[in-house]
Amino acid sequence: MAPVTGKLTRGDLNRVFARALFIQAAMHRRGMQSLGMLSALDAGAERVTNDPAALLARHADHFNTNPNMAPMVIGGVLRIEEEGGRGGPASVSRFKQACASALAAAGDVFFAGGLKPIALTLATLFAIYRFFPGLVAVFVLYNAALITVRYRGLSFGYARGWGLIEAFSSPRVQRALVLVRTGAACAGGLLAGVIVTGAFQQGTRAFIATVLVAALAWFAARRGVPASRLALALFPVAWIVGMLLH
Amino acid sequence: MHDLLLIAIITALLALDDRAGWQSLAGEPVFSSLFVGLAFGHVGAALRCGVALQAVWLSIGAARGSRRPNVLVGGVVGAGATCLSLHKTGDPREPLVIAAAVFCGLVAGEAAQWAEARAGVAREKWLERFRLPQDANVASRNLALYTIGSAAYIALVSALVSAVALMLSLPLADLIIDRAGEAASGLSAWAGALPAFAVATIAHAFTTRALGRTAALGFLLAVVVAWLL
Repeated sequence: MAPVTGKLTRGDLNRVFARALFIQAAMHRRGMQSLGMLSALDAGAERVTNDPAALLARHADHFNTNPNMAPMVIGGVLRIEEEGGRGGPASVSRFKQACASALAAAGDVFFAGGLKPIALTLATLFAIYRFFPGLVAVFVLYNAALITVRYRGLSFGYARGWGLIEAFSSPRVQRALVLVRTGAACAGGLLAGVIVTGAFQQGTRAFIATVLVAALAWFAARRGVPASRLALALFPVAWIVGMLLH
Repeated sequence: MHDLLLIAIITALLALDDRAGWQSLAGEPVFSSLFVGLAFGHVGAALRCGVALQAVWLSIGAARGSRRPNVLVGGVVGAGATCLSLHKTGDPREPLVIAAAVFCGLVAGEAAQWAEARAGVAREKWLERFRLPQDANVASRNLALYTIGSAAYIALVSALVSAVALMLSLPLADLIIDRAGEAASGLSAWAGALPAFAVATIAHAFTTRALGRTAALGFLLAVVVAWLL
């Protein structure tokens, strides 16, 4: 890991990181993650400025981004505050909001649209086969990735400051997003294949039921009907069909 | 009572992670059912229940603006109902018990989402009253207080909701198991077909040509491996 250059030591960054882990804890509609952001900034504020109260007051406004990307913004804000807000084209608040919006979009695609589906589909796959080491491996690897992104993100943001904006618009980030989405699609296809072949091996009746339910759920998803409501609605249908077929 | 307390503690810990912490996936049904199964015994049955619930609640893409049921409470209640029903009734029809528990888990997920939204209003109002003090030390203390208080409230509400949901789910599951009679095979088939929801979610999520092609490749791979084995 690259050495820390600035007023914050590795220990200070660790404290900021620990608080940033709970950025969602005080989430509310008006300020969203503002209290979580303040709490994380508070851990490093005394080191980067002589007036920590003023620093916190500057960042008491609305803040919302992907929670995994928030440490990167926090690191960037701490660096800019350390430099007295100089060296950039706009105010530190503008930097924070611009980063938050861009990283929210990138973070959602990377985590919610890629990494999390990969982990969940693989976990479901291992659970179907009751392969417990696989389940544990998915859990450990997913969390290792999460913690790494958050921790390195904080260090990266603190190292770059204003340069953060250029860094996340680079082609490498876009390539990573495409790669993780492709991985999620492959894992999803694998899970779908396992479910369909599993139903086929159980017999014609199970296979037909699976195909029918999948088609119905697909149409429902297109129309915006929640999957759990459809599943609940199918319960009495299954009851009646079961009685009729008995 | 002891069982309900254990379920409440498990849910509180998972809620701290899922709602207030770093979202480690421990709150997703496939993992929460494993934890509940390990706590109550019947790991295999709990995991089957977790797989069915996970398939219905498989989320691909950001949930911004959409309303997802409370998968944490749903998963814990479903797995808890599976283990406790099997433990108490000793019913040999495991697929039927799992189907009844999955139904309870789905209902609990919907109900918990509604209940927590109502309970969350008080937390929202409390958090909105936060004003940053002039003094840095007082600000620091207040921020810690609000963060810990909010996280504790989330955990407490989730714990209470899951305990109440499980308390109501157990008689409901028993009722379904008792009354199923000739419909038992239909209900077992219902639970068995729920993974099809995951197939639909995957087909719906990866609609672009490139991603669709990759998903199809994964699908073919699974089919070929199954055929070879």
